[in-house]
Amino acid sequence: MTLGIGAMLGIFLSVALVNNLVLAGFLGICPFLGVSRKIDMAFGMGCAVTFVMTISGIVTWLIVHVVLVPIGTALGDPEALFFLKYVAFIMVIASMVQLVEMYVRKFFPPLYTAFGVFLPLITTNCAILGACLLIDMKPEYQNLLSATIFAFGGGIGFMLAITLMAGVREHIRFSDVPECLRGPAITLLVAGILALAFMGFAGIGK
Amino acid sequence: MTVILAAIVLFALTLLFAGMLGIAKEKLKVQEDPRVPQIMEALPNANCGACGFAGCADFARALVEQRAPCDGCPVGGSGVADRIAEVLGIEVTRSFPYRPVIHCGAHTKDKKGIVAYDGVRTCSEANVIGVTQACVYGCLGFGDCVAACNFDAMRMDEGLPVIDYEKCTGCGACVKACPRRIIELIPFKQDRMLVIACSNKEPGRLVKQVCDVGCIGCKMCQKMLADVFEIKDNLAYLNYEQYTGQEDFAPVVAKCPADVMVYFGKPKPEYTEMLADTESVGASPPGNTL
Repeated sequence: MTLGIGAMLGIFLSVALVNNLVLAGFLGICPFLGVSRKIDMAFGMGCAVTFVMTISGIVTWLIVHVVLVPIGTALGDPEALFFLKYVAFIMVIASMVQLVEMYVRKFFPPLYTAFGVFLPLITTNCAILGACLLIDMKPEYQNLLSATIFAFGGGIGFMLAITLMAGVREHIRFSDVPECLRGPAITLLVAGILALAFMGFAGIGK
Repeated sequence: MTVILAAIVLFALTLLFAGMLGIAKEKLKVQEDPRVPQIMEALPNANCGACGFAGCADFARALVEQRAPCDGCPVGGSGVADRIAEVLGIEVTRSFPYRPVIHCGAHTKDKKGIVAYDGVRTCSEANVIGVTQACVYGCLGFGDCVAACNFDAMRMDEGLPVIDYEKCTGCGACVKACPRRIIELIPFKQDRMLVIACSNKEPGRLVKQVCDVGCIGCKMCQKMLADVFEIKDNLAYLNYEQYTGQEDFAPVVAKCPADVMVYFGKPKPEYTEMLADTESVGASPPGNTL
């Protein structure tokens, strides 16, 4: 099944803006709040998550459709082994994150030290597992191309959200925040307002 | 049957990914000095940044590249410094604790131009107003430093703070609290260090108008011990890098016409006995004879 440009754009915009994984799906809040202090770090984190999400999306799609479905069909029910999805996906994601960590450590050492513990935390980032499972859940993403675009779009959406958040946080760092709201309180409020703003996209695309 | 197949599938996937990661580890290897993990074991690993580097890992790397001193970790102290020196195989340089000293010797009776002040009785407020006393460089005497001390090591003695060096930990809170910046952290190479108790940069005759015990910039100390004393802006400075404690400061202290050199530090044993019933002793009177 080939996809027209319109359909591809539709999938991409749908997951990046309309159903943004962070702001509409409330996935991946941990790095979203933890790494969004500075724009360059946030952008780097967004890139890492996009990379991991795209590769994980492709590999998990392959695992489902090349391994689990054929073996299930041989057993009589294509969905027989789908309970293995969760374990297998986590394994894939953990390996991908290790790969990214090694790569970043070798080629971008300052970024590696800047991330610290947040890079391995991408492993437990529910946004990545969420994206992989969502691909599987919705019938419209059942071919490889759609799955790839969905995963890539999810990553870009995450990057968009975290960079926006970093921009706002850098700005309010020097503002006169009321004392009771300083720190996590104002951050969460800003996140909520950003989520509200993205609600404006709801309904587009269908 | 399903279960067996499931187990086989998972096992196969595990082998696949483990193999891939194994290959990647070899290809993306980062050569790191083996001493770095050894040093990291010795460090407190609090990642507090007090050493000035971005966390303990960064400090460890800097140590191996000789960009950092062995005693750079204030949290770990000398214990950690010794273990680091062991790993690196070098002699540990004895470092000295940094303790605060006050560059003013004027008690209330020595100050001139003291006004009846009804405002907020803090040094920062008085500093802004600027007319509570004639000298604009010296200690204001309202005790912001005493209030800032977290270790109860300071008290006020007639307009001048006194430090109890038994309790002082060198945290620097008093240094930050003083609005006139006359408290300085110096390396205490000995238990008692000589200090120039004045911060007034005006010429001598103007100093005399505002204070009885201010430094007049006569350069007598510089003439006697030129490598340790330096006069800049009509004020004497002690070079604590060159200060070895072996110098005989007694003639310099005696010759100083303004009596501005005092010793700060733990008191001499005889002095402690004399004042056994006093709670704490710090600066001795100017012109140290005790």
